[in-house]
Amino acid sequence: MILYQTLRPALHALRRLMPRIAALALLSAMAAPVWAAAPVLRVLAWPGYADPAVVKSFEQQHGVRVEVTVIDSDSTLWHKISADDAAYDVFAVNAAELQRYIALNLLQTADPARIPNTARQLPRFRNLASIPGLVHQGHAYGIPYTYSEMGLIYDKRQISSPPQSIAALWDPRYRGKVLAYDGGTHNFSLAAQTLKTASPFRLARADWPRAVDRLIDMRRNVLGFYSQPEESVRLFMRHGAALMFANYGMQQVHLLKAAGADIGYAIPREGALTWLDCWTITRRARDPALAHAWIDHLLGDQASALLVKEQGLANTIAESDASHGDNRLLWLEPVEDAELRDRLWQRIRSGDRAAKVLAP
Amino acid sequence: MRFSIVWRLGLPLALLGVLATSLTGYYAYNASRDLLVKAAEERLLTATRVLMRQVTVTLKNTAADVKMIAEHPQAANILNRSTPKFQSIAENNVGMLFERMLAAHPEYFQMRMIDASAHGIERIRVDRDSHGVLRIGNADLQEKGHYPYVFETLRLPRGTVYISHASINHEVGAHAGLEKPALQVAAPVYGNNDKVLGLIVVNVDLNRLFSQLAADLPPELGLYLSNGKGDFLIHPNPARAFAFDRGQSALVQEEFPAAAALLNGSDQRKEFVVTSGSGRSASALVAAFMHQSLPNLAAEDDFVLGLAQPLASVVAESDRLATATMRIVLGFSALSILLAALLALTMVRPLRQIMEAVSRFAADRSGGTLPLARKDEIGVLARSIAHMQTQIRNQLESLHAQQDELDHLASHDSLTGLPNRRLFLDRLDRALARARRNHTTLALLFIDLDNFKDINDTHGHAAGDAVLCAVAQRLQGLLRGADTVARLGGDEFVILVEGARDADAIDQLVHKVNETLAEPIRHEDLELPTSGSIGISRYPEDGKDANALLAVADQAMYRAKAGKR
Repeated sequence: MILYQTLRPALHALRRLMPRIAALALLSAMAAPVWAAAPVLRVLAWPGYADPAVVKSFEQQHGVRVEVTVIDSDSTLWHKISADDAAYDVFAVNAAELQRYIALNLLQTADPARIPNTARQLPRFRNLASIPGLVHQGHAYGIPYTYSEMGLIYDKRQISSPPQSIAALWDPRYRGKVLAYDGGTHNFSLAAQTLKTASPFRLARADWPRAVDRLIDMRRNVLGFYSQPEESVRLFMRHGAALMFANYGMQQVHLLKAAGADIGYAIPREGALTWLDCWTITRRARDPALAHAWIDHLLGDQASALLVKEQGLANTIAESDASHGDNRLLWLEPVEDAELRDRLWQRIRSGDRAAKVLAP
Repeated sequence: MRFSIVWRLGLPLALLGVLATSLTGYYAYNASRDLLVKAAEERLLTATRVLMRQVTVTLKNTAADVKMIAEHPQAANILNRSTPKFQSIAENNVGMLFERMLAAHPEYFQMRMIDASAHGIERIRVDRDSHGVLRIGNADLQEKGHYPYVFETLRLPRGTVYISHASINHEVGAHAGLEKPALQVAAPVYGNNDKVLGLIVVNVDLNRLFSQLAADLPPELGLYLSNGKGDFLIHPNPARAFAFDRGQSALVQEEFPAAAALLNGSDQRKEFVVTSGSGRSASALVAAFMHQSLPNLAAEDDFVLGLAQPLASVVAESDRLATATMRIVLGFSALSILLAALLALTMVRPLRQIMEAVSRFAADRSGGTLPLARKDEIGVLARSIAHMQTQIRNQLESLHAQQDELDHLASHDSLTGLPNRRLFLDRLDRALARARRNHTTLALLFIDLDNFKDINDTHGHAAGDAVLCAVAQRLQGLLRGADTVARLGGDEFVILVEGARDADAIDQLVHKVNETLAEPIRHEDLELPTSGSIGISRYPEDGKDANALLAVADQAMYRAKAGKR
C-alpha cells in the first residue's frame, strides 16, 4: 500500500503519456504511404486548353487524376501519338491533321451520343459530316472544341496601317522585328501563299526549292521563332517586335492585350489559315467512357466560359465576338506530306542553308 | 490472498522499472535520431553550398574563357575580315584553340564564333561527337541569328557574358549535344568602332558539368537542379528532368513545398533544409536546397540546387542504436523485474513473520519471533506490536487477579474471611456427591452463639464483630484440611466434616468446639464470655440432600439451645 501510494504519481504520468505513446505507435503504423490508385486520364492538350480549374473540377467529379501534357506543335503531337509506346487517352488536334491519325488507325470513334453537351453546340459544329475530315466511314472521330484564324498581329506604334499581305513577314523594313511560329506545316503553307501556288496545302514538286528559299528568307528576316503563346508574348514585349504571325490566333491577341501591348490584328488578303481543333480519343484509351466524359466536361459551361475569358478563344457553344468575314478564312486542309515539311523545317530552323536543307 | 502483497508490490515495481527503461531508451533513440537528422541537414547544406560554389566558379571560368576569346583582337579581325591574306590562317588558329578547349573541358559540347552580319552564320564551329572533337566544315555551318543566345548576346555591351536558360538542344546537326540539356555561355565580339561583330558561344553540357562536380559526393546523395521557375533540370529520376520540354510539369516546389519561398523571392532566404516524409517510407528524404543567381553575368535564369539523402540512410546509424538500446532496455527490464520480485519478497518476509507472531499471540499469547532489530518501518511496526503484546499480557494478568478477588468476595464472608453460604452450599453439594459415589459419610455441625445479641447490645457492633472473627479463627484452627467451616449469616456457623468418622470422633469434635467457644474473647479491655449451641446432622442417616441435612442440624441446634435455658 505504501508503495502503491508512491507509485501513484508515476502511474498518473504514465496515464497522461499513454495517448502520446499510442499516437506515436499509430503514426508509425500509418507512415507507410497509402497511395490511392486513382485512375489516370492522360490528356494531350494545346496551351490553355486544359485550364487547371477545369482539370480540378473534372478530377473531383470523376474521382480520377488527369495528367495533362501540353503540346505546342502538330509535329510534336504526331510523334507523341504515333509513337509505339504512346500512352495517352484523349487529345486535341486540328481537323486537317485528323485524317492521318485515322489513316494509321490511331483513334477510336468519339460518339456525340455519349457526349451530352454536344447538343448545346452551335448547329454548324453539331453537324459533323459537314466539317471535312471529322467523319470516316460513318463514324465521327473528332468533336469540335475551338477554332481560330491565324492572322497577323502588329504593333500599332510601329506599323500605322494593318499589313495587307502575308508577305509582310518577309518585309525587310521589319527585319529582326518579326516573330514567326516554329512549325513546318503552317510555315510551308505561308510560303506557298506568298508564292501563289495552286493550294497552300499541296506543294508541287517544283514548289519545294522555292518554298524552302522563302522560308530561309523568312528565317533571315525574323527575330526568332516561338512555340507557345506565352513565349510569343514574352518575346514580343521584350524585344519590341513589330509583327507576329499568330499561330494561336485570338489567344495571342488576348494575351498581348492583357500584357498591355498596343496591337492590331489583321487578316491578310491571301486569306488566313484557320484551324478547328477537335477532341479525339486514342485507340489505346484505357477508359473510353472517361475520355467521353472529359470531352463532355470541356464542352460544359465552366470550360467554355474560361476558354473565352482566359484564352480569348472561341468556343463551339456560343458565337464568337471576333468572327471575321468567312470569305478570307482558309480552313486548314491535310497537307501533301506533313513529315517532309517537318523534316525540312527542322533543318531550316536549325540554320541550314538551302543546299543543305534540300539534301536527301 | 497470500501472494497479493507480493503482486501488489512487485508488479508495479516491475512495471515501473520496465517503463522507466523503455521510456529512457525510446527518448534516447529519438533524441539521437533527431541529432542525426540535424547533422545530416547541416552536412547536406554545407555540401550544397560547396557544390553551388563550384558550379558558380566553373560557370564563371567558362564565362572568362568565352570573354577572353571574344575580347582578343584576333576574333574581331576574323569577323571583320580585316586581313584577308591571313584570314584562313587566323580561322584555323582559332578553330584549333576551340578544339583544344573542348578537349580540355569535357563539359563543353560545342564552341563557336558566330558572325552578326550574315544572319548569324557560324564562322568557326567545333562540336563534340561520339568520337571526339570535330571541326565543322564550311558547308555544314548554320545561320543562328534567330536563336535567343545570338540576338540576346548581340545586344549586350562589350565585356558582358550571356548565360542562357537551360534547355534541350533541338538544333539539327548539333552532334553530341543534340537533344541534350545545355547552357549557352556567350560573349559579344566588338570591333574598334564599338560595332558588334559577332559572338563567341560555348554550349555547356549541363549533365556533364554537374556529374563532374558532384563526382566526389557519396553515391546515395540525389542531385536536384531547377531553373528559376522551379522546373527540374536535373533529377535523380531522369523522367522528371526537363519535363517542360515534353509538355509536362515537374516542379521543385511541388516535390519540396518549402522551395516555393526560395523561388518566389518573397523570402530573403537563399537556402533551406527540409526533411520530407516519415521515417520508414522509402521516399523520405533529408534535403538541402539553395537558390543562386549569377551576378555579374547576363544570366537569363537563376538556379536552385539541392542535395538529398534518403532518410533511411541518415537514420541507419540510429537503427543500430535502436537495436543496442533495445537490448539494454530488455536487459534492464529483466533486471528490474528481478529486483522488484526480490524487493517484494524481502518486504513480505518480515511482514509474514509479524503476521505469524500476531496470529500465534492471538491463539495462545505466546510471543513468536518478531523482526525487532530492523531499523526501518517494519522494525518500528514489530516493536510496537511487541510493546502491544506486553501491554495486553499485563492487562490480562491484572484482570485475572481482579477476577480471583471478585470470585473470593462472592464466595466468602467479608468479615471473617470464611466461606459464605453460597460457597458452603456448593461445597456441601460436591461433598454429598462424592459421599454418594464413594458410599462414605459426612456430618454437619450447626453452631449458633448463645449470647451474641447481648454482646452487640451491651458492647456495640465492633465488639460483636470481634467476637465473630475470633470464633471463626478458633473454629478454623480446629479443623483438618478437608473439612470446611462457613459462616451462614449473623452468628450462625456451620462445619462440614467429610469422611467416615465414628460417633466418638464427632462427639470429640463437638466437645472441642464447645471448649473453644467457652473461652472468653478479649476485645479491647473486655473479657467477653461466649458459648455456642451445636446441632448435628449426618449423612446418610439424617438426610440425603443438603437442605434436609441443614434442616436437621438446625433443629438439633435449637433443641440444644432450648435445653440450656
